[in-house]
Amino acid sequence: MSNVWLLYMGFAAVLLFTGLYCLLTMRNLVKLFIGVEVIGKAVTLGIVATGSAKNSILTAQALAVTFIVVEVCVVATALAIIINVYRHTKSLDIRKLTQLKG
Amino acid sequence: MMAVQIGLLCGLVVFSLLAVLVRDILKAAISLAVASLLLGILFFRLDAPYAGAFEISVVAGLITVLFVVTIALTKAEGGVRESRLAAWIFPLFFVVFLVIDFLVMRRLIGQIASLPAPAEAGTFGQVLWKGRTFDLIAQVGVIFAGVFAVLALFRKRSKHE
Repeated sequence: MSNVWLLYMGFAAVLLFTGLYCLLTMRNLVKLFIGVEVIGKAVTLGIVATGSAKNSILTAQALAVTFIVVEVCVVATALAIIINVYRHTKSLDIRKLTQLKG
Repeated sequence: MMAVQIGLLCGLVVFSLLAVLVRDILKAAISLAVASLLLGILFFRLDAPYAGAFEISVVAGLITVLFVVTIALTKAEGGVRESRLAAWIFPLFFVVFLVIDFLVMRRLIGQIASLPAPAEAGTFGQVLWKGRTFDLIAQVGVIFAGVFAVLALFRKRSKHE
């Protein structure tokens, strides 16, 4: 594998760390989902960079497009859940969800 | 050539960091959109125009709109106070991670054996429709699942309920 590929993987690892940090420390539900999006960017970057390094850019693009479609569906569903949570608890604080019963 | 790509990668990381660290959620969503835009441009430079077009139109466009609509419907901050400790500790953890990342990547240079990779033949359409047909079926299933999930979550209650 080339050094350029490792450079891309290094940046993808930085993005992954940023997203994981956001997931572990933030309390706002929308902010948590922004963390998930940042992790998604790391994954897409990894797929396309690896495809480019391995001369398989067409398959990598097909996988990236599939990942983006799945990402959109997940975002739409999660944001709908966040709106419903806000209607119930009047807050976006993740800690309020620990008080749910039944 | 490489300097432009490194610049794009640095911009991608900076705007992703802004999206995580900025307190205003609207600004965070816009930072995320800019990061997606930079990633899309990077895909174009990596000879992946279809992935770049999807990244810019769907992730930077559609998902940002969904985020903005959600922020508007939930009245900005939603009464959440983030931990100040998290913001203070972040630079320390980030620097430690960068050092570990740099050391690990430096050791890996020239260590990972390259697998045989014959060049692909055909066009993107042939690979997507013939080579990854099962992915497309799964995509249709996921889209339907997403649509039905959103419909179920925003279902209006009937008079009997």
